[in-house]
This record gives sequence, structure tokens and C-alpha cells, in this order.
Amino acid sequence: MTSMTTSQPPTPFVSARGISKSFGGVPALVNVSIDLIPGEVHCLAGENGCGKSTLIKIISGAERPDSGEIVIDGVSHAQINAHAAIQGGIQVIYQDFSLFPNLTVAENIVLTAEVASGRRLYSPGSVLPKAKAILQELELDLDLDREVGDLSVADKQLTAICRALVNDARAIIMDEPTTALTHTEVSRLFALVERLRARGVALLFVSHKLEEVLAVSQRLTIMRSGRQVVSGPTSEFDQRSISRHMTGREVDESRVVSDLDLTAPLALEVSKLSLAGAYRDVSFGLHRGEILGVTGLLGSGRTEIAESLFGVTPADEGEIRVGGKLVPIRTIQDAVTARIGYVPEDRLSQGLFLEKSIADNIVAASLESHRTRWGTLSRAGIATTIKQYFVGLKINAPNAQAPVRTLSGGNAQRVVLAKWLATAPTVLMLNGPTVGVDIGSKEEILELLRVEAAKGMSVIVISDDAPELVAACHRVLVIKQGRLTHTLEGDQITVDTIQERMSA
Amino acid sequence: MSPDTKVRNEVSQTNANSLRQFNHQLGSWTRQFVRRPGANRGAGRMVVALLLAVTLFAILNPRVFLSPINLQNIAVAAPEIGIIAIAMMVVMLTGGIDLSLVAIANFSAITISTLHTAIATTDPDLANNLGVVIVLAGIAVGMLGGAFNGFLVSVVGITPILATLATMQIYNGIAIVWTGGSTLYGAPAMLGAIGQAAVANVPLLFIIFLVVAVLVAILVNRTALGRMIQLEGANPVAAQYSAIPRRAVLLKTYTVGGLLAGLAGVLFLARNPTASADYGSSYVLLVIVIAVLGGTNPTGGFASVFGVVLATLTLQVVSSGFTAIRLSSYEYAIAQGVILITVMIFDSVSSSRTKRPKKLDPQLPSEASPTEAALLRP
Ligand SMILES: Nc1ncnc2c1ncn2[C@@H]1O[C@H](COP(=O)(O)OP(=O)(O)OP(=O)(O)O)[C@@H](O)[C@H]1O
Ligand SMILES: [Mg+2]
Repeated sequence: MTSMTTSQPPTPFVSARGISKSFGGVPALVNVSIDLIPGEVHCLAGENGCGKSTLIKIISGAERPDSGEIVIDGVSHAQINAHAAIQGGIQVIYQDFSLFPNLTVAENIVLTAEVASGRRLYSPGSVLPKAKAILQELELDLDLDREVGDLSVADKQLTAICRALVNDARAIIMDEPTTALTHTEVSRLFALVERLRARGVALLFVSHKLEEVLAVSQRLTIMRSGRQVVSGPTSEFDQRSISRHMTGREVDESRVVSDLDLTAPLALEVSKLSLAGAYRDVSFGLHRGEILGVTGLLGSGRTEIAESLFGVTPADEGEIRVGGKLVPIRTIQDAVTARIGYVPEDRLSQGLFLEKSIADNIVAASLESHRTRWGTLSRAGIATTIKQYFVGLKINAPNAQAPVRTLSGGNAQRVVLAKWLATAPTVLMLNGPTVGVDIGSKEEILELLRVEAAKGMSVIVISDDAPELVAACHRVLVIKQGRLTHTLEGDQITVDTIQERMSA
Repeated sequence: MSPDTKVRNEVSQTNANSLRQFNHQLGSWTRQFVRRPGANRGAGRMVVALLLAVTLFAILNPRVFLSPINLQNIAVAAPEIGIIAIAMMVVMLTGGIDLSLVAIANFSAITISTLHTAIATTDPDLANNLGVVIVLAGIAVGMLGGAFNGFLVSVVGITPILATLATMQIYNGIAIVWTGGSTLYGAPAMLGAIGQAAVANVPLLFIIFLVVAVLVAILVNRTALGRMIQLEGANPVAAQYSAIPRRAVLLKTYTVGGLLAGLAGVLFLARNPTASADYGSSYVLLVIVIAVLGGTNPTGGFASVFGVVLATLTLQVVSSGFTAIRLSSYEYAIAQGVILITVMIFDSVSSSRTKRPKKLDPQLPSEASPTEAALLRP
């Protein structure tokens, strides 16, 4: 493209026109059209399950549309295949990363490009330099020789990002690339996005974090239940109008916390907990009915503390008291016996049985409590529990027999939450409870936690989403390099203070 | 109801019409059943396969195949294989496998036969009176064998296929050394009686098989342990994070497998009062075929006991059908393989039709020129 005339509208590199798609008779997309223009970031926003990922899969050839066309570089296709899409210069960072767990980081980053370029022989020597170059560009510190299966979610996400960027793509599609990343990595990614934009790459970006949407994009398309609600320049929107278009109602993100009975005995008391190489001397108490936020940068030790309390990686030293009683937590069973529940960070691999039904997932952790006198499971009891949470948490699916695999991110998260609520825990820890969850559902999930807390459950929310911590937490603990450095209370809990204390 | 049924109604073919209606209803029930998701698919497709097999042999050689003796034979031979296949299914539900099941069954049979003979040489009446105790001892040996497998897999942490390959050799080796490689004769009289008995022309052995199947189905679907077994197979990491006691579940799973194999050993003796270390060596792989045909997911998490029962019967029908049309056991082996592949193809086609349409209908490369595309088109 040589002409730089600004008068005529820019030609899109990829457009999807009039795309419709349904799954088993249920429409997921209805007549959706979208343009990816070189040098522009187009954001796709919408509630969980509104069809964003499905649209992306259709553009990248991973799903076949029922009707509509994909136009790449002026050539129309009724549908395209994944191979042709990659060759045509379309790279995708999928929401579930789609990485090979048994290959190293470097191999994952470079391999798809090698395969797509038709190379038959793979030379390990050529892999490292290419992978190193992209790490340098993003200023990332990933161990290229580690197997991806051993990585944390954040590192997996970074690997997936690197893989898309290592190729000379003409269009890059990012389906929620920042869910597991903290502020620092996100700003580096955005800096890179700016550079790609300057090179004339067309970008499509999906995120539930509205600040990100507003910061990074030039054009915005909002979807609701598979339909395109509005499209236009991002400058014409603000957070309020976006969330109103997304949900069809006003979303209230303001801070709501209950009054605590501070005289009641502590639900959980942690004193001088240490784990070599992860955290040291961590002490805190948790009141009955309290929602306690725990925040910190990636690798600060916040996840490790939670996993020690849940018995995944027991602490080396220190004491844990639940309801005033000293409990040695060496295994997950110990933690669950002490009525501690944990919604893990990596919900796809640690939280869910993807091929099993929603119903099976909901009762997975509370099977023992549904026993009848004869040792069999009480069908009526199970049915009640399933109904209670399937309806109560408003899990959006045709019925509770649907496999969890078919759920959107936010609904899948509700299933994990349901699984733990069904165990009636006294302390529930949630690691990134609203990662990848749309703002409407996020508010609803936070409200659910408030309700459970008001009933007497104590909640620990591990998160780096400052607005979320502000909205729901009585206190916020800041972890830095394995130590508890600040405890924020009352008026100190603001988005700015949290972000400042986290990185300072 | 379709419009043309209405038109014909006026021609007052009431009888034919209600028959058609019934047929229609039956058709939709079958369709629903065959289409039911997950493990039930195993049962659905095996209903079809079993009907096909029975029809085929009933047409090819009705006189022999449909003779009461042949049907009786199927009903008597199926239980021992079927119960081992069910044991295999239970273990495969966790994502594991147990190669030692047949060795355990033989071990149990040899234990019973040896105990019986030892007591019978001094006091034949006592031996027959102690029949129940002796049989229970045999089953207990099976459970122990299974528990040891479970110990190796869950506590020591050896991969199931290797752990049970090793124990298969061990159990088999001990059995050979113990019997000196020869066939043992003698079993409690009650076993012989069970082997001969029938209720309303249905062999008791077959009824035992069905009862065991129902009990295992209850275990798998209606108990906490069964659900945990399924979840462990579906996603071991999520199972761990859901506080499912992995070791205990695996230990119990393999113990149940051993128990069922021990029971199969009892059925060996009930059919024939002889025991040897090398009985049923062809069963080892056959039961894996049956379990998978019956809808067991080889990677774990999904299975259907009903499907496994039907798969057992199907293969037994094919086996006896082959005998009826005078084909050899080698040809039967070929047939097993062919059935397995056919069902798997059927499976991947029907699942890709619902999930991955691309596989069934590969896309033309989008760069292909119109002529190239025309050439590539079927
Ligand atoms: N393979 C599938 N089978 C059946 N239904 C599906 C399948 N994939 C997606 N769906 C359904 O299609 C709808 C759109 O899903 P999609 O994953 O595109 O949502 P999304 O907008 O990406 O949501 P999220 O923000 O949670 O990622 C959902 O209702 C989902 O349940
Ligand atoms: Mg999505």
C-alpha cells in the first residue's frame, strides 16, 4: 500500500460481514460485522457468553460460520481454515492460550510459525534466538527452557502473547490477553501494541477491563447476546456508556462493605507463616463475615500464601488457627476438613472438570455430605444443591447437564464458586475471582460474596484488580517480595493507594 | 406427525397407520437414546451393534446360531469375560489400566481349587461344607492382588500400565510355580451346581453377571466413591483441588478391580472345575476392547456399565456366530479388530458432525485457483 491519502476511508485488512452462528439451535452470533483496519486497534466488548470468542474463532478459521463472509485483503471467503488464516498473516492469542504443555516456552513461541511456513525439518538452534528477540522487545523475563505445563497462568499468557508476536503478522487478535497480567506487564504490552500499530498491523482486542479498552483502542464494537449493539470511535465512549451498552442497565461499582462485629472470635488467624523461597513471617487475622483483600505483584507470594492455607504447598513454619483452634494444614483434605475452600487461579486446569456437566462440577467437592444412610448418594439432596446454585448463581446454560466446556468464562467461574459454596466453608479464598468476568457479572459475583459474608462466611480475595478490591473489601493486605508490607483499612482503600503500595 | 400420515388416514388404513405411528415413536426413542450424550453413547451404539450381529448370524446360519444350546453357550461364556471387562472399565475410569486382571482371576481360581483339594483329601464332606469359606478366600486373594496394584499406583506412584504389567508377570509366575504349570482339578461342589443351575432357562451364571453389573453401575453412578473415580479420571488436578483423596480413591478402585477379577475366577471354576495359570490368556486384551467398545473413554472420566455388558454380548455373539459359520478363532481375532475400528470411525464421524465439522469436510486451501479447487472437489 503506497497511497497515503487520508481523505478516503481506510481499507480494512480483514472484515467479517454478516456473520451468524448457532450451537445446537442456540444462536451465539446474529449478523455481526466487524472491520480490522491496518494501524488501528479495534476493541470488542460485551458480557460473558455474548459471542466474542466465537467471532474470533470464526475469523481465525477455528469455527465455521453458519452464514456470512470473511474478507481478507479484498478476497471474500465463505469460511477459511486455520492454516490459511495463519498464512494470510492473522495471528490469534486465544482465551485459553492453546499452548503445548509438554514443549518448552521457546518451542511454543516459535513452533507454529515454523509449521505454518511449511518447514519440514525443525532445528532447535534456530528457535532460541527468535524467541529471545521477542522477549527482549517486550522486556520480559521468561525462562525459555521451561516446559509450559509447569508455568503459572500469567507466564502461560505471556508465552501465548509472544507466540503471536514472533510472526510477522498483519492482523493480531487478542482474546483477553491481560487477564492474568499485572499493571506493569499490561503497560509493556500496550507499548508494544503502539509500535505494532505504527507498523500498520491491524489489531483486535478483547478485554473486560474497561480502562484497558479505553486506553488502547481507537474503535469499539459492543455486543450483547450475540448481536452487535453499537460500533464507533472509542473517543465517543466512556466507562459508563460502555457498561450500559454491554448490560443494558447501569452498573454500580461503588464501595459497599458491611459493619463487622469485631468482638467475635477470629475465623482465621495466621501467625508467622513462612515458606522458603515464597514468603516470610506473614501474620494476619480474619474476622467472621469479613472480606479481606490480598494483593501484590506477580510472584510477590500472594498465591503461595493462599496455597499454603489450602494445603497445596504447606508452610514450613508458623501457625494457622481456624475458629481459635490450631490446625496443622499439611494436605488439601486438612484444609477442607477445617472448612477452608479455595477457588484457584487457573480455573481451566485446577478448578473445573471441563468435559463433565455443570451438575457434576457443582457437587464435586461436597460428595461426602450428600451421602445417605446406605452409603449411596442422595439423589434428591444432590438435585436440591444443584438447583440451588445453578439458579442462585444465575449460571447461563440451557440446563445443568451441559458440559462446562461449552460455558463462557464468567459462567465457568460461577461453577467453580458454586462448587465451593456447596461445601459451606467458613473461610473461602478466591484467587482472581473475577478474572475474565464481565463487569455486570463481576458486580454480581462480588454481591454474592457480600451476601455469603453477611451470613457469616469469611472471604479472602486475592486479586490485583484494584477497583474490585475497593468495591468489596473491608481491609486489603499488600504483599511485596514475600512479606506483608501494608495493611490498608477504611479510607485508605482507594484504587490509587492500592496501586501505589503494590508497586512502590 | 407428518402431513402425509393425515392423508392416508382418510383411506382408513387405521391398522397400518397405528403401526406406522408406533414405528415412528420407536424410531424417535431410539434416536434419542443413541444421541444421548457422553457415556450413554457407548450403550446406544452397542445396542445397534448387538442387533446387527444377532441378525447377521441368524440369517447366515439360523439352525446352528439360534439353537438353544448355542444361546445357552453365549449366556454361560459371557459372564466371566464380562465381569473382567467391567473391572477393566472401573480402572479405566480413573484414567488407568489393569493388565493383571486375568492373572488375578486365575490366581483366585487356583487358590480355591488348591484349598478344596487339600481339605478334600482328608475329609471330602468338610471340603464341600466349607465351600462358601473357600470361595470367599479365593475372592479375598483377588482383592489383595488388586489392592497391591492400587498400592503401587497410588502410594508408590508407578504408571498403571507398567505397575500392572509387572504384577501380571508376578501373579502369573507365582501361579505357574505353585501349580508346576499343570492343570488343577477339583472345586467345591456348590460351584459346579451354580454352573449348571438355571432360572427359567436363564443360566444362573448369566444372572450373576447382570447382578454384578447393576451393583457396579450403582457404585459408579450413585456413590461418592464412584463419582470421585470419575472425577479423578476426568481431571486429576481439579480432583486434587476439589479435595478428592486421590490415593484412597485409586487404592479402592484397583481393589474393586481385584475383587471383580477374583469373582471372575470363581466363575471360571463354576463353568469348569479346573484351574490353571494360563487359562484365558486371550482375555487380557479382549477385555480392553470390550471396555472401549462399551463406551469407556481410554483417557478416563467416562464409561457406561450397560455399554460394557452389551459389548460383551456382542463379541460373544460374534464369536459363537463365527463358530456357527465355521470360521476359526483367528478370523474371530480379525473381526474383533475390525469391529473396534469400525465403531471408532463411526464414533469420530458422529462426534465430528456435532463438534468439528471441518474434519469431516476438509476445506479447500483458500489459495487454490478455481481449476485447482474444481480438481480437488470430490
Ligand atoms: N462449542 C460450543 N458448544 C456449544 N455452545 C457453545 C460452544 N462454544 C460457545 N458456545 C456458546 O456460545 C456463546 C458464546 O460463547 P463465547 O465463548 O463466544 O462467549 P464470549 O463472549 O467469548 O464470553 P467470555 O467473555 O466469557 O469469554 C455462549 O453462550 C457459549 O455457551
Ligand atoms: Mg471469550
